[in-house]
Amino acid sequence: MKASYQNKLCVILISYFFMCFQVNADNTRMKEVINDITKIYMSSMTYIFINQPLINQQTNDKQELFGQRFLENVKQTYQVKYSEDFPKEDHFAKTMLLQTMVEVMDDNKELLYDDEIGFKGIIPATFAFQISAKLETKGIGLKFKFTQIASSIRNKLNKPDLWESSVMQKIIKSPKIYYDENALLNGKPAIRQFTPLPMVPLCLACHGSPADNPLNANKEKSQWTNIDISGFKMENWTLDDFGGGVSISIEKSFLE
Amino acid sequence: MIVTNSIKKILALFAIVFFSFTATSQSLSVGLIDYPPHINFDEEISKSPLYQYINKMLTTQGFTVTFIKLPRERASVELLKGRIDILMPIPLNNENIKTLTSPIFHSVPGLCFKKKNFIPILSAIHRLDALTIGVPDNLSLVQALTDSSASLVYLKGENATNRGMEMTQRGRFDAFYHPSPVTVYHRKNPLYKELACSYFHGYSTPIYIAVTDTLSSDMLTLINSAYQKALKEQSYEYYFASSK
Repeated sequence: MKASYQNKLCVILISYFFMCFQVNADNTRMKEVINDITKIYMSSMTYIFINQPLINQQTNDKQELFGQRFLENVKQTYQVKYSEDFPKEDHFAKTMLLQTMVEVMDDNKELLYDDEIGFKGIIPATFAFQISAKLETKGIGLKFKFTQIASSIRNKLNKPDLWESSVMQKIIKSPKIYYDENALLNGKPAIRQFTPLPMVPLCLACHGSPADNPLNANKEKSQWTNIDISGFKMENWTLDDFGGGVSISIEKSFLE
Repeated sequence: MIVTNSIKKILALFAIVFFSFTATSQSLSVGLIDYPPHINFDEEISKSPLYQYINKMLTTQGFTVTFIKLPRERASVELLKGRIDILMPIPLNNENIKTLTSPIFHSVPGLCFKKKNFIPILSAIHRLDALTIGVPDNLSLVQALTDSSASLVYLKGENATNRGMEMTQRGRFDAFYHPSPVTVYHRKNPLYKELACSYFHGYSTPIYIAVTDTLSSDMLTLINSAYQKALKEQSYEYYFASSK
């Protein structure tokens, strides 16, 4: 009788440890997937930033900005930026992100090839927002947002939700990637991650002071403007300010 | 007994063959609405990407498909009267119209400007403040536009969108609100060469494939399942972006 009881207990304990191990393995896997897609998203923004001359040039071959060639360029940017191989496309979320990038660039094709327009407005922030907006329409429980604290946000549609606001308050005090496997998205169980973005010199071209504004280059100080190229008033931030971050949320049902 | 079983088997086989044949030899009439660049009446229709995608989806399932070009105003009437089985593409603004389960693509509204006055980023809504913007009075506007202090001039009538675009080109408006600028701002359109359009990203409208009420539920299930299968293999939006 006693031996039978011990056997049952043993089986229950083994099952419990196995389940814990499985949950931990799933969480580790999900963290990897979210880290990968954060870095892919960031790499695409970097590619858009460094290719502003190509984007805004008139009468030029712009095939590098579309389809598979665009993805190849994002992959190369990733390798240079993170000094590691581009992640394997082994999760639906990664595939959806890459396809959405191609769709967004194609949405802008007419504008990109319009020789009579100089500045096209395809900058990292607007590109990132277009990806977020397009993913939202797909209704697949995958949400990307390039956001900031509410008082500093430029595009109202990028306003942080409660989870993002509370996470950013913690991150400002102690910068680190914040991962929450028991969060909610649209009222459904979700995994969420917020990756803070340190300010780098390229951010200052729009968010810094008039001295950082490329529109003021080679001009007398008296002629400087505090409106950046995208039409917004510059915030006078410095490299020490909080630069916002990338918020990625995946509904758990989508993972299954 | 053996003979009876054999007859039963033959009858079952005959039934399978008969029903397979009827399922795969159904014909469908599909109404098309001009919606460049997805459906473009100005070029051979077989070059339109939405035609290609849906034609492949239906013919793969064994349907015999007839495509019919229809003027926008008459198209919904033809569908509601059951004279066509399918109509595409169509925004869902008539609750009497039945659609396939999910949208085929999304349309994003925007503003069209004279190129020299182009504003590329519409989230900078303060840049709209001093502008006079024409808007068709039968459309609901995006919040970004109503939040701005732009002076809005409402145009009435069926043809308000085309008139508004022409008035913007002639300099009567600083900009014009278009429900789907992608349909007019493209190189193949000779009409508005002096205009360029930017988009209110984040304010999209789903565009559907509509089906007639007279379609049998079995047929609808068959089409819906073929549609979902096609979307799963490759969404139309990705097909559109990557196939050019």
